[in-house]
Amino acid sequence: MEKKTVIITDLRSREARDAQAYLEGLGYRVVAVPETVPLWDENALSSFAEPYRNQLCGVLHPAPPRILGGIDTVTEEDWLKAREEGPIAAFAVAKVFCGIMRDNREGSMIFLNSIHAEKPVGKGFLYSMGCGAVQMLAREINLDYGTDNVNVFFVQRGITEDDLSSRSDVSSLYCGVDMRYPLRKMPDQGNLNGLLAFLLTPAAQPLSGSDLRADGGMTMFYTHRHKVEGRAYYGST
Amino acid sequence: MDRPENRVALVTGSGKGVGAGVVRVLAKNGVKCCINCNSNPQMAEKTLQAIQEAGGEAFIYQADITDDAQLTAMVEAIVQRYGRLDILVNNAAMQPNRFIDEYDADSLRRLWEINIGGYYRSVVKCLPYLRKSDRPRIINISSIHGKRPTGFDAGYAMTKGAIRMFTRELALELLPDGIPVNAIDLGGCRIEFKTGNQPFTSHSPLDVQNPDMKARPRLIVPDEVGELVWYLCSPAGEALNGDGIRVDRGAAMT
Repeated sequence: MEKKTVIITDLRSREARDAQAYLEGLGYRVVAVPETVPLWDENALSSFAEPYRNQLCGVLHPAPPRILGGIDTVTEEDWLKAREEGPIAAFAVAKVFCGIMRDNREGSMIFLNSIHAEKPVGKGFLYSMGCGAVQMLAREINLDYGTDNVNVFFVQRGITEDDLSSRSDVSSLYCGVDMRYPLRKMPDQGNLNGLLAFLLTPAAQPLSGSDLRADGGMTMFYTHRHKVEGRAYYGST
Repeated sequence: MDRPENRVALVTGSGKGVGAGVVRVLAKNGVKCCINCNSNPQMAEKTLQAIQEAGGEAFIYQADITDDAQLTAMVEAIVQRYGRLDILVNNAAMQPNRFIDEYDADSLRRLWEINIGGYYRSVVKCLPYLRKSDRPRIINISSIHGKRPTGFDAGYAMTKGAIRMFTRELALELLPDGIPVNAIDLGGCRIEFKTGNQPFTSHSPLDVQNPDMKARPRLIVPDEVGELVWYLCSPAGEALNGDGIRVDRGAAMT
C-alpha cells in the first residue's frame, strides 16, 4: 500500500496551514501535531507518531514564529523560547520522524524555513540563529539518514507578511519589497505549495541535502533598481 | 592615541588550545588580556607564564561562561583592573562528538548554552564597555562546520550554524555603534586535547579519500588563529564585518 500520510509539526503559520490544505487537495492525509504535544519532547512525539508509522511519507517542519528584539532588549524568557521552539524542537522532530522513515526506507523530511538562515536583518538575532542551526541540522541528517533513502530538504522561503511588520533600522532588506522581485511582486504561496508537493515525491531524491531558496529571486537583488520609461538604471532611493 | 598597550581583551576559554594562542599573540602585541578558563586552571597557569616570560600582561579569571553571575563578575574584574575593555574574543566551546542518536534534548540544551549561549551572554556583558572603546572588536571563533556538515556531531554543527547567523545579525545590529563583528571558521587545529568523546569515527567513509594526493594541508596551530585575530583588531581589520573567515589551509577544498 502506498504511504500517503504527511505530518505537519506546527500549524501556527499561514504557510503551514496553506500547505496542509493544498496537500489534502492532492489526496494526502495530512496530520498536524497537536499543540498539546511539545515538539522538543521525543517521547511525546514518538507516541503521537506511532499510529502513522506505516503510512508516513513525509514530514513538514515549519520554522517557529519570529521573536523580535535586539541584543540589548531580548529577555531570558525570549532566549529560552527561541532555543526550545527552534533548534531543540527541530532536533527532536528530525530524530523521531527520520527514525521512522529510516525504518520504512523512504520518506521526505522538509524544513520549511527562511532566508534568514543566511540573510541577516539586524532585528531578531534569536530567530536567525535558530534558522542557521536548523540549516546545519538538515545537512547533518541528510548524511545520517540519507543512506536509508530518507530525503532531506531545507527550504528558504522568502520574506512573509510577518517579516514586513518588523522592519529594521539597520537593513534595507524589507524596503521596496515589490521592486526586489524580478516579477515586481511577492510570489504567492501557491507556488511554494507546488514545490513542497514535489519534494514529497521520489522524483526529488537528486535534490536531497540541498538548500532550496524559494524567494522569487529577491535576494539576488543588489541595489535599488528602477525601471523608468522602459530603461533600467540604478538610483539611490 | 590608541596604542596597543592601552587596549584590553577578554578571550573566553583561553587557558588552552585556540584561545591560548589568541591571548599569546594579543599579549605579544601589547594588549592586556584576561585569560578566562573554567575546567583547566593548571593549563591557564602555563599560558600566563608563557605570556609573562615574553613580557606581556595578563591575568587568569576562572569563570563558567554559562553562568550569568560569574560572567558579570569576570567582566567587572577586568574593568576594575585595567579600566576598560576593547576586544571580546568568544572562544569557549565544546565538541562532544556524539552521533544524533546519542543526543537527547538535555544534552543538546547543555551544548547550546555553552557553544552559543556563552557567546551571547558574553556579548551582553561586554557591550557597555565595548561601546566606550575607540576601536572595539567582537570576534567569534567558530568552525567550518557552521557551513559544512560533520557526519559525526549534528549538535555541534547546529551551534556553529547558529554562530554564523549570530555574527551576521550582530554585525548589522552594531553598525551604528561602530563595532565590527566577525567569525573565524576554523578547520582542523592542533591543540592539546579536545573535550568530548575520543576516539570517534565519522559516518563519512575514509575510503572516499584519494590515496594519491601529493599533499594534504597541515593542521592550523593556535598562534596562527591569534595572528588573524590581531589583524582583525588592527585599523585595517575594520574593513571586515559580518564575515566568516575560513581558516583551514584550504582543506575544505580538497
